[in-house]
Amino acid sequence: MTEVAVTPDPFKLVPYDTAAVTALAKEAAATVGFPDGVAVTLEIDEVLPHPVTGTFVDLAAPDRVEMWMSGANFEDPKRPVKFQEALARAELVRAFLRGADRLRPDFAAAPADEDLTDRQRAAWDVWTEGRLARLGVPGARPDRLRYHYRLHHGFNDVADAVFERLWVADALTWDDLERACAETDAADTRGRPKRTALRREQLRAPKPS
Amino acid sequence: MRKIFPPNELARDERFVRTKIEDRVFDPRNAALMERDLGSARLEPSRPAAADRARSLMHGIFVGEIQALEGAGRTCFDFDDQDAPFQLKLDMARQCWDESRHVEISVKLGEWMGSEIGEFTESTFLYEAACADDPVMRLCGVNRALEGLAIDVFNTMKEFGDIAGDPVLEFCEDWMLADEVTHVKMGSDWLRRLTEKDPERRDRALEFQRTVDKIFSLGGFRGESEENPVHLARKFRRMAGFDEAEMDELVEIANQAQAEAEAMATAAAQAGPGAGAGTYGS
Repeated sequence: MTEVAVTPDPFKLVPYDTAAVTALAKEAAATVGFPDGVAVTLEIDEVLPHPVTGTFVDLAAPDRVEMWMSGANFEDPKRPVKFQEALARAELVRAFLRGADRLRPDFAAAPADEDLTDRQRAAWDVWTEGRLARLGVPGARPDRLRYHYRLHHGFNDVADAVFERLWVADALTWDDLERACAETDAADTRGRPKRTALRREQLRAPKPS
Repeated sequence: MRKIFPPNELARDERFVRTKIEDRVFDPRNAALMERDLGSARLEPSRPAAADRARSLMHGIFVGEIQALEGAGRTCFDFDDQDAPFQLKLDMARQCWDESRHVEISVKLGEWMGSEIGEFTESTFLYEAACADDPVMRLCGVNRALEGLAIDVFNTMKEFGDIAGDPVLEFCEDWMLADEVTHVKMGSDWLRRLTEKDPERRDRALEFQRTVDKIFSLGGFRGESEENPVHLARKFRRMAGFDEAEMDELVEIANQAQAEAEAMATAAAQAGPGAGAGTYGS
């Protein structure tokens, strides 16, 4: 069974239960066939409310995966600070799918999550969500993800065709995702964003005094 | 049929869940959140969780349209012709037609963005502003304050659609924005006509409008700095009958609301975990 260490323990700002999250994380690891010998640390940022969602999954060592998630990822959108188990289960399966990807040699060239472009990240998210749906985990939302993807790949037919391809793919490499991004980039006529998305480290940083 | 319909009896099916504004104000995370450097709060595709933020705002617009329809409908019914002239009721009836169309557009936009009816919480404070017993107050609270906010929100969403290259969102928001300008202008015109010979009544109504504006600034939701997700759409407000002094005052009201929300969050944090509404024990 995968070793998972969840922080904070206990939660102080939201009524989340560390033991319950740990159990769901172990269940998620089993669902995706995550390798036993790899330890996982999962930090949940309980300060961030819905809709400030976000997930980062990185390889800290060949046998250790670090995950960081916004507490908003587990929060019932209808009821502030309330933990929603189904939402958490799906979020954790997504994270373990991406963690398992990072452990594969053909993802060795993938930048750390902080350094992924929005386009790269959205493409990876689509492939992840498609696999989540095929695993039969409740909570896959193709329409929701399609909008997130279109914001970063463009509202055009080329981007939509790539979405369908990524969604149904069983096995991809980092190079495959890069090629998909290059294809949508070439068809994207929009201006480039003036600034890049804020990153985890910025979300956690204190306000300048 | 009774007049002045209470907000807690508005008809909703099981998909809708309501929250109180206090739940948001006294959220135990607020103080810690204010310590974070979250950068610009403007709604832009490059912001973290942009899609979720946009969906959440879109759902807020959707429930706001339902309540605007309910409010304008009540104004057609709640007053006799002496309190509210027939022409005013005709304008409110026209507004009902517009709001119905906006509800349908908002449902379709929600689907387009991957959301669904009832996915997010509903607050009924828009409708509550439409429960005043003086039609002039309703016009100030709803048509000038809340439909004015709708101008700011729709303009923000339109800009989001433009930057994202989302032609559907940009187009729909632009059309709804045009209607909102008309609704605000109706409020400005009727305020002037109904209080022409009663300056005290006008003052009371404008004071009510300031109160509603402050509540709806939601502790920094609307303003003119990078910390505000929704920005004042001065050009469209001008078209709707607002003068520069009124808009400057609105910015000041929004700044006050933000400062008060920060003070409340700090006070709640100093009182320790468990203080304030929406708390829990463990």
